[in-house]
Amino acid sequence: MSLEYHSASMNSPQTTDPGQHDAAHRTGALGKPIVLVRDLRKRYGTLQAVDGVSFEIAEGEVFGILGPNGAGKTTTLEMIEGMRTIDSGSAIVDGIDVSKDPRGVKARIGIQLQASSFFDELNLVELLDLFGHLYGRRVDAKALLADVELTEKARSQVRTLSGGQKQRFSIAAALVNDPRVLFLDEPTTGLDPQARRHLWGLVRQIRDRGHTVVLTTHYMEEAEELCDRVAIMDSGHIVALDKPLVLIDALLGRGFTKERVERLANLEDVFIDLTGHTLRED
Amino acid sequence: MRWVVYWSLFVASFKMFVRNRAALFFSLFVPLLIMLIFGVLNFGGGTNVSLGLVDEADTDGSHALVAALEATDTFDLQPGARDAELAQLKEGHRDLVLVIPAGYQLAPPTAGTPGLVAYSNRAKPEQAQVGGLLLNAMVGQLLAGAAGGTGSGTPLVALEALPGRDLGYIDFLVPGILGLTVMQLGLFSVAFGFVQLKRTGALRRLFATPTSPAYFLGAQVTSRLLIGLAQVLILLGVGLWFGLQLVGNVFLLLAVSVLGSIIFLALGFSIAGWAKNEDQAAPVANLISLPMTFLSGVFFSRDAMPDFLRTITDYLPLTYLNHALRSVTNDGVGVGAISGDLLGMAIWAVIAFLLAVRLFRWE
Repeated sequence: MSLEYHSASMNSPQTTDPGQHDAAHRTGALGKPIVLVRDLRKRYGTLQAVDGVSFEIAEGEVFGILGPNGAGKTTTLEMIEGMRTIDSGSAIVDGIDVSKDPRGVKARIGIQLQASSFFDELNLVELLDLFGHLYGRRVDAKALLADVELTEKARSQVRTLSGGQKQRFSIAAALVNDPRVLFLDEPTTGLDPQARRHLWGLVRQIRDRGHTVVLTTHYMEEAEELCDRVAIMDSGHIVALDKPLVLIDALLGRGFTKERVERLANLEDVFIDLTGHTLRED
Repeated sequence: MRWVVYWSLFVASFKMFVRNRAALFFSLFVPLLIMLIFGVLNFGGGTNVSLGLVDEADTDGSHALVAALEATDTFDLQPGARDAELAQLKEGHRDLVLVIPAGYQLAPPTAGTPGLVAYSNRAKPEQAQVGGLLLNAMVGQLLAGAAGGTGSGTPLVALEALPGRDLGYIDFLVPGILGLTVMQLGLFSVAFGFVQLKRTGALRRLFATPTSPAYFLGAQVTSRLLIGLAQVLILLGVGLWFGLQLVGNVFLLLAVSVLGSIIFLALGFSIAGWAKNEDQAAPVANLISLPMTFLSGVFFSRDAMPDFLRTITDYLPLTYLNHALRSVTNDGVGVGAISGDLLGMAIWAVIAFLLAVRLFRWE
């Protein structure tokens, strides 16, 4: 039984695996596809970083790309974003072919890079105004900062922000053009549990406003919490793609049992219970 | 071309520069400090009297006088023709010009025979007085040895003061500092600033937008040019306060500075394009700038250099830039007189531009 996703039809974006349990929709029926990826490949020297990846992302979805380091997550993401050239295959975002019009795609999406860095000498408002101009837009920097709860840091420079604040600012900068699709590359790596939970809330808000979100993460709990569907990559391939619960049920269906039965709470629950949800940033 | 995009990047580049303390320190404070230190210490001043020597007699007697002058350390001798040396005196490059007239005999002056005349620069009365006394004493000694006495109390060297300028070390130094600053701004602010943006990923973040990176490059170059011009004006202003005699056209100075900036900006982008981080950029930038700092006539006249070294370093971009800046500042010349320097700089600009195009990488 393969969980690899092979749907070739643009009209049937739902994942269908004949051996699955009933594909109960966690968030209702998926919308029309806004990202179409077909047989994407990328080679660096002798390393085939991405080796024939295909999937579709529906409008309004939070889509996760998971996988160990070096699996090809970031390369896949950056090819779709128009940040890297595509060796072969195609990626179409909001109706635009990335290889033909990378700038057209960049104009319609928002990108948070894995290690986002901004000009040190400018403050947050100046940076957002500048990035707005780069999209040919006049932005309401104050409102964007309010959305990511950085109002009081408006006149600060990025280097004075905490890790969580930096990531939130980076998301604000990715939202200046009101993007159709928001790409977040490991947005919570290096954050403490409080800051991570806070960012989850932000991602949900963004989704609720109608933006499609594509994210990569190393945290399975995060993927389970946030993503409507996840693609699991390994060695440049997608080895599974479905709703998190469907993937879990499929594993259990194959007779999997944990060596130690999980309790109803884990250590992170203890940590959050003891230290609370309040952000520690100052 | 979307001007709003360019303008917002230009403003951002400008703000980034003026808010960067390290950049301001090295590009404005350090040149000012150098000017202050060298100006106050007056390194170039020295105690030597610059003496133009015009030997129109060309006899054994005049040769003996020249040999005696050469044997002393007091005078910095500059042999030459009368017109040329008097012009140098007028421009302030000589303290005195001694003319040994045709038919001069190495003997006490008598009526009817031509005597020695020393022309002095009226703007430099101290040098004229000291130099005149020294000359009279020397000729007196020479005659005492040759003829057993000076014979009379009349001065042996007639002193005549001509109008002229008093060029001090500050007049030499300021154009040199201008050239140095133009070089440092182009090389270092670009090599370091840009490499840092590359290394941190700030440049990559710009690529995530639909704006062409060429806008950013254009904004960086033009903002640096503007900053360079502002620096030239500030340094000139401080120079004037220190007593600089600016006789040239300021706009020509600015134009020469822009041409110089283009060379060093292109070299800076070549380094920034090639280097992966600041550690790679630093040695290369220093390797280019340090030799020129000392061999292109920033602080000291290149006249003292050995001939072979001077011939080689004649072709350095900063040598052209400094010579052009100095000619305009000190001598008030126009474009024609510095056309050789401008041509040399233009060739360097083309070389540096081609190098930048070849070496430049965004990532």
